[in-house]
Amino acid sequence: MMHKESGRPAKKQVTVTINGKKCPAEEGEILLGVAIREKIAIPHLCFEPSLDPYGACRLCMVEVVKRGRKEMTTSCTLRAAEGLEIVTDTPEIVKYRNILFELYLAEAPKSEILKAMAARYGVTKTRFLKKLEAADTLDNKCILCGLCVRACNEIMGAGAIGFVNRGPYTLVGTPYGEPTKDCFGCGACVKVCPTNAVEMEDTGDTRIMKSWNGTKVPLSKCDCCGEFFAPKGLATAALARVIPSLKEEIAVLCPACRGKRIAQEEIRALSGGAGHHG
Amino acid sequence: MKIVSAADLAAAQETGMQKIRPDRPRIAVGLATCGIAVGGNRVYERLQEIIEKEKAEIILTKTGCIGYCKEEPLVNITIPDKPLVILHKVTEADAEEIVREVSNGKVPEKLALCRVPSWDHITGCNIEYGKGFTKIPLYAKVPFFAGQKKVVLRDAGLINPEDIDEYIAVGGYAAARKALTGMDSEAIIKEVETSGLRGRGGAGFPTGQKWRITRDAPGERKIIICNADEGDPGAYMNRNEMESDPHMLIEGMIIGAFAMGADTGLIYIRAEYPLAIQRLKLALAQAREYGLLGRDIFGTGFSFDIGIATGAGAFVCGESTALVASIEGRTGRPHPRPPRLTDIGGGLWGYPTDLNNVETWCNVPVIIMNGSGWYAKIGSKGNTGTKVFSLVGKVDRVGLVEVPLGTMLKTIVSDIGNGGANGKHVKAVQTGGPSGGCIPLRMFDTPVDFENLNKAGSIMGSGGIVVMDEETDMVDIARYFITFATGESCGKCVPCREGLKHALLILNRIMAGKGTKKDIETLALLSDTIAATSLCGLGQTAPNPVLTTLAYFREEYDTRVKP
Ligand SMILES: Cc1cc2nc3c(=O)[nH]c(=O)nc-3n(C[C@H](O)[C@H](O)[C@H](O)COP(=O)(O)O)c2cc1C
Ligand code: SF4
Ligand code: FES
Repeated sequence: MMHKESGRPAKKQVTVTINGKKCPAEEGEILLGVAIREKIAIPHLCFEPSLDPYGACRLCMVEVVKRGRKEMTTSCTLRAAEGLEIVTDTPEIVKYRNILFELYLAEAPKSEILKAMAARYGVTKTRFLKKLEAADTLDNKCILCGLCVRACNEIMGAGAIGFVNRGPYTLVGTPYGEPTKDCFGCGACVKVCPTNAVEMEDTGDTRIMKSWNGTKVPLSKCDCCGEFFAPKGLATAALARVIPSLKEEIAVLCPACRGKRIAQEEIRALSGGAGHHG
Repeated sequence: MKIVSAADLAAAQETGMQKIRPDRPRIAVGLATCGIAVGGNRVYERLQEIIEKEKAEIILTKTGCIGYCKEEPLVNITIPDKPLVILHKVTEADAEEIVREVSNGKVPEKLALCRVPSWDHITGCNIEYGKGFTKIPLYAKVPFFAGQKKVVLRDAGLINPEDIDEYIAVGGYAAARKALTGMDSEAIIKEVETSGLRGRGGAGFPTGQKWRITRDAPGERKIIICNADEGDPGAYMNRNEMESDPHMLIEGMIIGAFAMGADTGLIYIRAEYPLAIQRLKLALAQAREYGLLGRDIFGTGFSFDIGIATGAGAFVCGESTALVASIEGRTGRPHPRPPRLTDIGGGLWGYPTDLNNVETWCNVPVIIMNGSGWYAKIGSKGNTGTKVFSLVGKVDRVGLVEVPLGTMLKTIVSDIGNGGANGKHVKAVQTGGPSGGCIPLRMFDTPVDFENLNKAGSIMGSGGIVVMDEETDMVDIARYFITFATGESCGKCVPCREGLKHALLILNRIMAGKGTKKDIETLALLSDTIAATSLCGLGQTAPNPVLTTLAYFREEYDTRVKP
């Protein structure tokens, strides 16, 4: 389906106002992205520019004037238009945001990142009952932002993890809480997680996805230096999309050794083949 | 047989009228879910047995529910040239007497609730049943009916919902024919716009405007959906609309599809409504057989068909974006709008989609048939037409009530509902389902319309009115609804998922006598936050029961907590 408008013409440049500051933006650009570029702090936990807007963490609330009325809305779902004006820290927003931070502190009491983030906004304790579960594979740090699930499904197309249950019982995990064969071991989940909840570890020829119930993924060994580098399954999946001449090289060389080889070839080409291109 | 010309329609109408007013007595048992629940099927079977045994010259058939659920099982009797008589609280034991009396051209008067000498089905059909039975009260004199105005429920409980001919007999599909053969898209949309019809699914969005947006959305293909997910506890008007008059919904959708240029319609209905699903399937099959669905409807070249999609029991799937996700086979979780359903890429399978509630669709045929001017005179300015409410809880007369929008709450609860059950005093009502608010007795002069209910801290929702009496514990009520909402939260956004959970923990603490004054303050601030910051309508409205009970029944909280 026409989900993302592809092949669209170059976007119009517009000016939006954030906290009184005029900022240039592309028409239709996500406001939170503009604010990040302009170094205007808006707390956020579920935003990732390469994924569709999701609007789940609710921390990026801003005030916007729409049709003459002030409205609160999430800046990660708001799109730039000429003359758009937002304010990021009204007393109302601060009031609600602080409660949201308190809810997060209760939901993921072990996340140091979250504690530091909340503290930056003046919230250091929560009045709500903390959730502490000994058996939590995500070590009581997950805030269900969904970034790992979305990266796994939408970017990698692996679908190894998903949401389980609903409402307050929701959690992120593998099917039936068992090790899963669908995981490439790409580690995108580890990378996107805003609270460092997802853990993995490489030991020898194996990558262990600790948070995904000990899912094990074999690693490829570099022909040149002998180090284990990328997960095998990932290489196979990635290779399917790559031009044939590169395939072999990627499969057998780690990025460092491949870098060396490219450099060597480049040098050889420069010295031996000057005037090659006329 | 295919219905193409006006003459074809008139022929079906003739056939249908002979079924509604046959040349011999007709007994019609109210067999909607509410009637079946109190033994309607047993009454039907017993009547059938006796009629067969006696070889009585009586036609036995089914009808839907006229709305007076308290008095069920209801049985209608039509004897040629006599008024239609509605019997109430009928049991199998009454069957013998009914057959005997009816065979003699009489009715068992002690079972009679009322008589209907004539009935206006509005869309061009006024049935004159006849005179007589003057000892039986008139329909219009029965207090439960007296204050009502039947527009959407004009056929419910009077025609056989399993027979398309009967629907056609009372004016059915004439509006569709008028729209498809005599009006263009613009004229239809204009008519719906000027009628002032607003969505009956809760938000009250102007229907004509939504149709226009869908029609004008880029993209070749458009889809329309009927939202029949009706998940509010205590609300069952959509169920009755489908069980008692399924063709009215289908006709509304045909007109809408033509106006918006849609080739596909879907009815998203909850699996907990098996009878409604069965009757809809039957109705769709009958409509197809008559050529009212399928290719080249009324010979206009317009093709359209309707399918059924069943929901698997999540309240949040009534929300538009979650509903579409559910039909597409994804998890029923809402996503932020835009994209709206009407946007390209935002609707079902990516096609611009119009979503309307069952009752919204049901309002369409009468608007087309009688005109927007006629329709706009019903109700109040900005809130035109009628609304069907399910009046339930601790009220004397439980049932479905259809009144013009803007009718005073006390008219519904006190006059039509006759106040509290068992002589108890009414203390409050809760409108709008689980996410509505509790309105105290002192505010019963609130006109029931979208804006005034909002002002009172509640919502229209889909039309549930739950009555509470002097014995109802308002804190417990708040806890009940928060328990419901917590269980139905999809778990995507933090205020709804975590906030409701903590609100419930606090309410439990207060109910257990362990709460403090500080807990009440936290509860208020938390509820406020959930309402202001949640992603979808579920979270945004879920705290209403807490917020309104805190506002209107604060003393019930205060007396429970430690200082
Ligand atoms: C949690 C939630 C549940 C809903 N459930 C229903 C429902 O059961 N039936 C319905 O018609 N609309 C329901 N709605 C409203 C729909 O999202 C939508 O507004 C409506 O179907 C549009 O139709 P209308 O314009 O005819 O009212 C629900 C909304 C929310 C947020
Ligand atoms: S594990 Fe991390 S990335 Fe995944 S949902 Fe939880 S917080 Fe988000
Ligand atoms: S970043 Fe906007 S809701 Fe999470």
